[in-house]
Amino acid sequence: MRDRTHSEQVIRWAEFVKTHPRSIWIREVGPLIDAQIIMANTFYERLSKTEGGVEKIRKLRKLD
Amino acid sequence: MDREVKERTILDTFAEDFVNVVEKHAKYIIVSGFVAIAHGRSRGTEDVDMIIERIKKEAFIKMHNDLLLAGFECIQSEYPEVIYDDYLKDKTSVRYVRKGHFIPEMELKLAKDELDDYQIKTRKKLPLTGLDLYFSSIEMNIAFKEELLKSEKDMDDAKHLRIIYSDVLDENEITRIKAKIRRLRLS
Repeated sequence: MRDRTHSEQVIRWAEFVKTHPRSIWIREVGPLIDAQIIMANTFYERLSKTEGGVEKIRKLRKLD
Repeated sequence: MDREVKERTILDTFAEDFVNVVEKHAKYIIVSGFVAIAHGRSRGTEDVDMIIERIKKEAFIKMHNDLLLAGFECIQSEYPEVIYDDYLKDKTSVRYVRKGHFIPEMELKLAKDELDDYQIKTRKKLPLTGLDLYFSSIEMNIAFKEELLKSEKDMDDAKHLRIIYSDVLDENEITRIKAKIRRLRLS
């Protein structure tokens, strides 16, 4: 269960987004969004080259 | 140290490139988590959710082939007939990625009931996102997250959207949509 400070942060950040143009808030969240995708793809690429890695990826993606 | 900051995230470009193909074949909407993220919600996601109008198999095959030409591939099958008959027609979503990549995924499904038809009919472009995409309405997204999905992440998404659109939200519309959700998805 997330506590009160988590909820307060959601509200604080939403207020920031509401009161600033996209060109400002995208500087904060854009790199975070990109980093998650880049890191995950790099990891999956590395995992796919290990023994049994492709099968593990298929299970992670619920394809089997 | 200066860091380069792009106006478009990887998710933005992925969604726009996918939509550039889909919109030639069907009416579509982007729904759920990416709606909140496109409004600045600071969280990650592996997929973008898209609903398209119910199209016939022949039309889907053309769309699928255009998606392949644009560099996308379907994780479930390379055969559009299988994708349509075994998944989409069965109200099951399928996932497309850029060829050779693992994420992000576009989770694609056909409209399945009058609620989805209504979402597509009331779709909107949302200038605050800076993206030239059709989304389901903010009221629709809030209603789904608060009435059906209800995870902590979804409730935080709804809270975020409520603050961003606090001055223009139609609460009566949210109430009407929640009633439809209870009738069509929860009974």
